[in-house]
Amino acid sequence: MNTLLVNVQGAVTPECSKTHIAYRFFLAKSGGRMKIDFSYSPKNLEDHARARTLIEQGLDRYIEDELREQAKSKWQSYLPLKNLITLSVDDPSGHRGAAHRHDPEQHLFISGLESSPGLSKGALQAGMWTVTLSLHAIVTDDCRYSLQIWHEEDHG
Amino acid sequence: MNWMACELHTHTFHSDGGQSLEELAAGAKALGFDCIALTDHNTMSGLWNKEAVEQQTGMNIIQGMEWTTFFGHMVTLGVKDYIDWRPVGPGDIHAGLARVHEHGGIAGMAHPFRPGSPMCTGCYWEFELRDWNELDYIEVWSTTFAPLKNNNARAFRLWTDKLNEGFRIAATSGRDWHRQEQTDEPLSVTYLLMEEHGGSITDKAVAALSAGRASVTLGPRLDLGVHFGGQLYGIGDAVPEGPSPDHTIELQAAADFEARKEHWELPEQIYTLRFHSNLGMVSELPYAADSKGCNVTLSREGLRWVRAELWGTIRGIRTMIAFTNPIYFDEPGGVITLNDYTISTDHGTQRLYGYAR
Ligand SMILES: [Zn+2]
Ligand SMILES: [Zn+2]
Repeated sequence: MNTLLVNVQGAVTPECSKTHIAYRFFLAKSGGRMKIDFSYSPKNLEDHARARTLIEQGLDRYIEDELREQAKSKWQSYLPLKNLITLSVDDPSGHRGAAHRHDPEQHLFISGLESSPGLSKGALQAGMWTVTLSLHAIVTDDCRYSLQIWHEEDHG
Repeated sequence: MNWMACELHTHTFHSDGGQSLEELAAGAKALGFDCIALTDHNTMSGLWNKEAVEQQTGMNIIQGMEWTTFFGHMVTLGVKDYIDWRPVGPGDIHAGLARVHEHGGIAGMAHPFRPGSPMCTGCYWEFELRDWNELDYIEVWSTTFAPLKNNNARAFRLWTDKLNEGFRIAATSGRDWHRQEQTDEPLSVTYLLMEEHGGSITDKAVAALSAGRASVTLGPRLDLGVHFGGQLYGIGDAVPEGPSPDHTIELQAAADFEARKEHWELPEQIYTLRFHSNLGMVSELPYAADSKGCNVTLSREGLRWVRAELWGTIRGIRTMIAFTNPIYFDEPGGVITLNDYTISTDHGTQRLYGYAR
């Protein structure tokens, strides 16, 4: 039997950069396999004028005075600016890893014997689980994400 | 003890790398490394088959993880279980460092001056460090052809400034190696002087780096020693207080041009060997690849630390090629006076720098 545990769509803005969104949910039965479908869009900031402003603001902070103009002249080397949301998983007794990568569409799973890269395999334990979305950077005015978490009870 | 050629900053597809641990380890083997640290972003799941990969490839693998936070990237080595980076805010890094140390690990700033968000999220170090004693090391040479990069020069200056302030912090290189790709750019190696015992490579590497027994290079392995009171002190050691503050010491440095020599290329040349200290450069000598080493005798007065640097030309560019971590001196600062010196190279005469303050 497949149970849909979390089904959520959300919208975030640049102000949400450097925040976490945690979904805490109850897994009623131990065992089986957890399937996590996660996506967000858009990935890239296509507005290059906006990107240039953000890059120049960044270089003002990160580059020493005497090298700043030279760095700014190469602002295009930082294109495209990207949204980055990563996903991590905690079970009732501890951490089960993270999928820290740039793919804006991820189909992850975790089970007793197998798991997606970044997550650690091991029998699923009934109780409160947490899936955390870490918003490392949101550079587009609007970014939509979608998260579905399933429990596949009969799946090894 | 043994010098081991290490690559201390790597990733696999368990985070955003494009390689498996097997591919990474085999690639490191082909480049003459003895040891790699896997430092995936915010996960340790890539280590699940570490033993099998070690056996299969002959590569030693250090357990690590790169804290990939919103406010800085911090490489950790030797922590056995995941430590949560998510609750740590820009003012809380000391809580994170304390947990790393409680779990037997050590932590270093990764690429502290790489431009950060939104170009490279969290890549620039913004954590507030109130006590630099808590930080174990700084990755001063990041990526390839490291000494040429402005960000690395700035990290190297930060390290020197902290040494001058009296902190004993180690310095390393890290390629931040994400995929197997051919590069013509010179690669850095961090040599760690490891104990020979039955313990794990992770424990040995953590012990070596936390004791500052590290030497970083694009080519030959540079070693440094201090003779004092009938004893020889090595990289990372602290020379105890002497019978008088101006007691004479002998510095000795040597570069091993045999180390990994199939894996780097330097044109024939006379190099420059520098002894750099909290008092600035104390000596600069010519150095030839076939030299057995060189010595300088001087007063220890005012010395708090000294390191060796090898300078030369690589790919047509004159730059630092190698540097050692320091040898420290357990004595308050003062004035250095050069009273004597000897040189054992066959090439030219040395220039001496005297300091009177
Ligand atoms: Zn990093
Ligand atoms: Zn990295």
